[in-house]
Amino acid sequence: MMTAPKTYTILVACGTAIATSTHVALKIKELLAERGLEVQTVQCRVQDLPGMTLNADVIVATAQVPFDVDIPVVDGIPFLTGFGVKEVVDKIEQILRQKS
Amino acid sequence: MEAIKSIFDFLTGLGSPVMLPIVIFILSLILGQKLSRAFISSLTVGVGFIGLGLVINLLFQALGPATDALVKSTGLQLNSLDVGWGVAAAIAFGTAVGSLVFIVALGVNLIMLLLNWTKTLNVDMWNYWHYAFTGSLVYLVSGGNLLLGLIAAAIHAAVALLIADWVAKDVQGFFKLPGISIPQGWAITSVPIIKIFNWIVEKIPGLRDVYWDSETLQKRLGIFGQPIIMGAILGLLFGILAYGINPAGMTFNEVLGKVLMLAVQMAAVMLLIPRIIAIFMEGLTPVSEAARTFMQKRFAGREFYVGLDSAILIGHPITIATGILLIPITLLLAAILPGNTTLPAADLAATAFFVCMVPPLTRGNFFRSVLYGILIMTMVLYISSAFAPLLTQIARDIGYAIPQGAVQITGLSGGNWIAWVLTTITRLIFGR
Repeated sequence: MMTAPKTYTILVACGTAIATSTHVALKIKELLAERGLEVQTVQCRVQDLPGMTLNADVIVATAQVPFDVDIPVVDGIPFLTGFGVKEVVDKIEQILRQKS
Repeated sequence: MEAIKSIFDFLTGLGSPVMLPIVIFILSLILGQKLSRAFISSLTVGVGFIGLGLVINLLFQALGPATDALVKSTGLQLNSLDVGWGVAAAIAFGTAVGSLVFIVALGVNLIMLLLNWTKTLNVDMWNYWHYAFTGSLVYLVSGGNLLLGLIAAAIHAAVALLIADWVAKDVQGFFKLPGISIPQGWAITSVPIIKIFNWIVEKIPGLRDVYWDSETLQKRLGIFGQPIIMGAILGLLFGILAYGINPAGMTFNEVLGKVLMLAVQMAAVMLLIPRIIAIFMEGLTPVSEAARTFMQKRFAGREFYVGLDSAILIGHPITIATGILLIPITLLLAAILPGNTTLPAADLAATAFFVCMVPPLTRGNFFRSVLYGILIMTMVLYISSAFAPLLTQIARDIGYAIPQGAVQITGLSGGNWIAWVLTTITRLIFGR
C-alpha cells in the first residue's frame, strides 16, 4: 500500500517577503523535489514571524531572526551565494524526514 | 549603425512588457541557461509588468483623488504620492535604459573584476533597478540621450561595488556572514553619510558616549509593521485628513464610506504590489543564477564577495525597531519640513531599509540608528520631492496612465544622492 506523500510547509523569511525569499523559495522547491520531498512554501518578512510560525515544519530565513520561535530555523543565505547549498538542503531534508 | 538604431527604436517602441523579456531571454542564453527555462522566465518578467500596470491603475484610482483632497483640505503641499519601491523599480526597468541595465551593470562588474578593482560579484539582479532608476532620470533630463543614461547607470553600479568592498568586512563581522557584501543601490549611498555622521558625533562630548544596545529592546515588535495592517491604518489616516476635516458638503455617512473604502484600498495596494513584484522576481531568478554560475566559474580560486540584497540585513533587532519608529517620524517630517512635497505611503513598509547599514557601522548603537535615521529620512524626503515631476514624466512616457493634474508620483526608495548628483549635473549641462 502506498500512502500519499506528505506535503511539508516551509516558511521562507526575508526582509521584504518578496525579493530574496522568492529566490530561495524557488530553489528549495526545486532541490527538495529532486530528493522526493514535496513542499509548499509560504513567504513572509522576518518582522512578521512572531505571528506566523504556527503551521510550518521549518523556517528558512535569509535574514537574522531576532525572535524566539518554536520551529527550527535554517540559514537561507547559501541559496543566494551558491556556496554550501548542498549542506543546507541536507539539513532541511533531515529536519523534514524526522517529522514524518 | 543606422540598421542598429532602427532595430533598437523598434524594440523600445514595443513597450517594456515585450522589450525587457526579449533582453532577458537573450542574456539568459548567452549566460548558458537552458532554452525552455530562459523562455519561461523571461515571459514571467513580461507578465509581471502587465500585472503591475493593473495595480498601478488601482493605486491611482484610489489614492489620486484622496491625495488631491488631502492637499485641498489640510493645506499641506503633499502632492507627490510615494508609490513605493515596487512601482519605482518597474518604472525604472521600463525605460530604454532599464532594458539594457542588466547588460551594462554585469559588464561593469565583469570588467572591474578582471582589472582587480573590486572583489564583489553583484548577483542581486533585482536591485539593478536602482542603477536603472539613476540612468532613467539622466536619460530624461538629457532629453533622451541613451548613452548618457547608460553611463549614469554604469557609474551608480560601479560606485556600488566600490562602497560594498569598502564596508564588506564590517558587514561580514557584524552579521557573521562571511564572503558577502552589499552593493544594493540605495544602501551603499547611505554608507558615506553614516561615516560622516560618525565623524561628527565622535567630536561632540556627551553625544559620542550615548550607546543603547539591542538587549534593552523589546523584541516582540512584529505585528505593527505588517504591510496590510499598516496600509489600512494609513488609509484611515489619509481618509480622515482628506475627507474628515473638510467634508465639502458630504454627509457623515458619505465621509465614513469614503474613509473606510480608502483604508481597504490602501491595504490592497500594500498587499498586492509586493505579490506582483514576486512574479517579477521569479522571472529574474534563473538569469541571476546563470550569471552567478558563469562568473564564479571564471573567477574560481580568487577571493571574492557575493554581492547580495540589503534585505538580508533587515532582521537585526535594532534595524527592525528603528524601522518601526521611523514610520511616524517620517510622516511627521513630511508634514513639517518646508518645501517637502512627498506624501510618504507605500515605502513606509520598507523604512528598515533606510537604516540597515547603521548598526554594522556603529557597533550596533540603537541611539545612533534612530538619530541618523531621522537625518537620512529628511534627505530622502527632499530628494524624492525633487524627483517627483521627473518620475511622473517617465511613468507617462513608458505608458502608465497617470492622470494629468496636480498629483505626482515618487518613491522614497528612489531618494538616493547618487541619482540626485548625476541628474543635477546633467541638468546643468543641458540647461533644463
